[in-house]
Amino acid sequence: MGDPNPPTAAQTATQPRTRLSTRKRHHWIVRVTHWVNVVAIIVMVGSGLRIFNAYPAFARKGEIFCCYPFEHKPIPAWLTFGGWLGGARHWHFAMMWVLVVNGLIYLTFVYLHGEWRDLVPRKGDIRDSWQMFKFYTFRRKDHPHQGKHNALQKGTYFALPIAGAFAVLTGIAIWKPVQLSWLTAMFGGYVWARYWHFIIMLVIVILSVIHVFMVFAVDPYSITSMITGNYDPSLSPEARNARPFYHLLPRRTRAPAAPPPTEAT
Amino acid sequence: MSKDSTRRFTNINGIDRRDFLVRGSGLISAALLAACDSRGPKSAQRLLNYAERKNLVVERKLFRHTSMDVVRKGAHEAGNKLPSYFIAPTVPVWDESVMGKWVLDVGGLVGNPVRLSLSDLQRLPQVSNRVNHYCVEGWTAVETWTGVPFTELARLVRADPGARYVDFQSFDDDYHESWDIESAMHKQTVVAYGLDGKMLEPAHGAPARVYSPVKLGYKNTKYLTKIVFMPEMNGGYWSDQGYEWYGGV
Repeated sequence: MGDPNPPTAAQTATQPRTRLSTRKRHHWIVRVTHWVNVVAIIVMVGSGLRIFNAYPAFARKGEIFCCYPFEHKPIPAWLTFGGWLGGARHWHFAMMWVLVVNGLIYLTFVYLHGEWRDLVPRKGDIRDSWQMFKFYTFRRKDHPHQGKHNALQKGTYFALPIAGAFAVLTGIAIWKPVQLSWLTAMFGGYVWARYWHFIIMLVIVILSVIHVFMVFAVDPYSITSMITGNYDPSLSPEARNARPFYHLLPRRTRAPAAPPPTEAT
Repeated sequence: MSKDSTRRFTNINGIDRRDFLVRGSGLISAALLAACDSRGPKSAQRLLNYAERKNLVVERKLFRHTSMDVVRKGAHEAGNKLPSYFIAPTVPVWDESVMGKWVLDVGGLVGNPVRLSLSDLQRLPQVSNRVNHYCVEGWTAVETWTGVPFTELARLVRADPGARYVDFQSFDDDYHESWDIESAMHKQTVVAYGLDGKMLEPAHGAPARVYSPVKLGYKNTKYLTKIVFMPEMNGGYWSDQGYEWYGGV
């Protein structure tokens, strides 16, 4: 072994647990808005799909729509919420305020409190994302330097509020296509605005599903941090060299053979 | 030692990871199953009603008489693809031999209530609007509606300033929908007797119906018999069944 001081999972694991080095990771405003957002997004997506099922297509009557391969195929009912069109509309038009107000609280906090520095893209983020990708696909051995979020997370958490804003604007555009026709026109008219509203919903759902998967598969300790706010950096994915579900596999025998960290200087 | 290191990762708050995952995912899926395709918790109904009342205030504030519906360039007329619907078991047709001559009653809080035959309507100032039809279900259709601007009718009957609402009633069973006066007085609201250059057919509300792009389809009562100016709102066929009363776009 050429590297005298490899940061292996075993090294951090063998440290005696004398100091519990938990740190405050998420402010309570971030934690509350996060969970409110979970409820709001689930209700918005479910009720939105129920509304969509009343006319699961995009074409104007008497026309054909170019860009949706599943015209007139309804979404499975178990993915929908609200029970019927009118009920789903009431949920959708009530929860939209929760989504918007909650989002504004979060963004205002992130701006005033400086957390935006952890989220805005920087030069090198694309390179770092590529490194993370290589690590997850076993083409790189050690976890790239992480900080609060790895580059892939940073990109996602930066993109989500933008996607959210886009969802809100396209939503308003199809809510008030006459009164706010200028907004609807910006998205290419009612039919296209409705299409973009659907597409951005898909983007948000896909990013959220990946997010939840990675939380469970790579960093389950972050769940605690999103509830209590505390996070132990010695359990970070970087410290554990964690790949998706890798930590659930039996340890390699190679790991205990590493020298105890107390002797490494 | 290796056993120790595994324990260290698995033990959060006395529950081990597997437990946590199993219980957590069980809880989440139970909650989702309970929520799916349901109408949501009953207790939420009051909150939803509250939100609808607040939305009504916001929507009426957003309303501008100057905001017009504009059909996109290149949009095609729906023609015979325009869906037809009514609540009666069969297409409501005004049968003169049974029901007498069709007339439209315009009254309520007005200075000069009138009864208009179809030819009376046709003699009043006429407009043709090529506009979108916005259905609550999410589809739209482009059509040209010909008829009397509602504002002309309001002037003819000398509507009282206290008439803040209008009820549009029909002979399609007891179908009716009441509107706020602003939406009724919008330039694009017409009492229509023509569709795409032809006289209205029974499938789409003959002899006459109200049509406006500022309201969702269900607010646009077909098979009109009566227009009543009122000081208070009067619900409506779909509004009473839980769709928004305002139904404005």
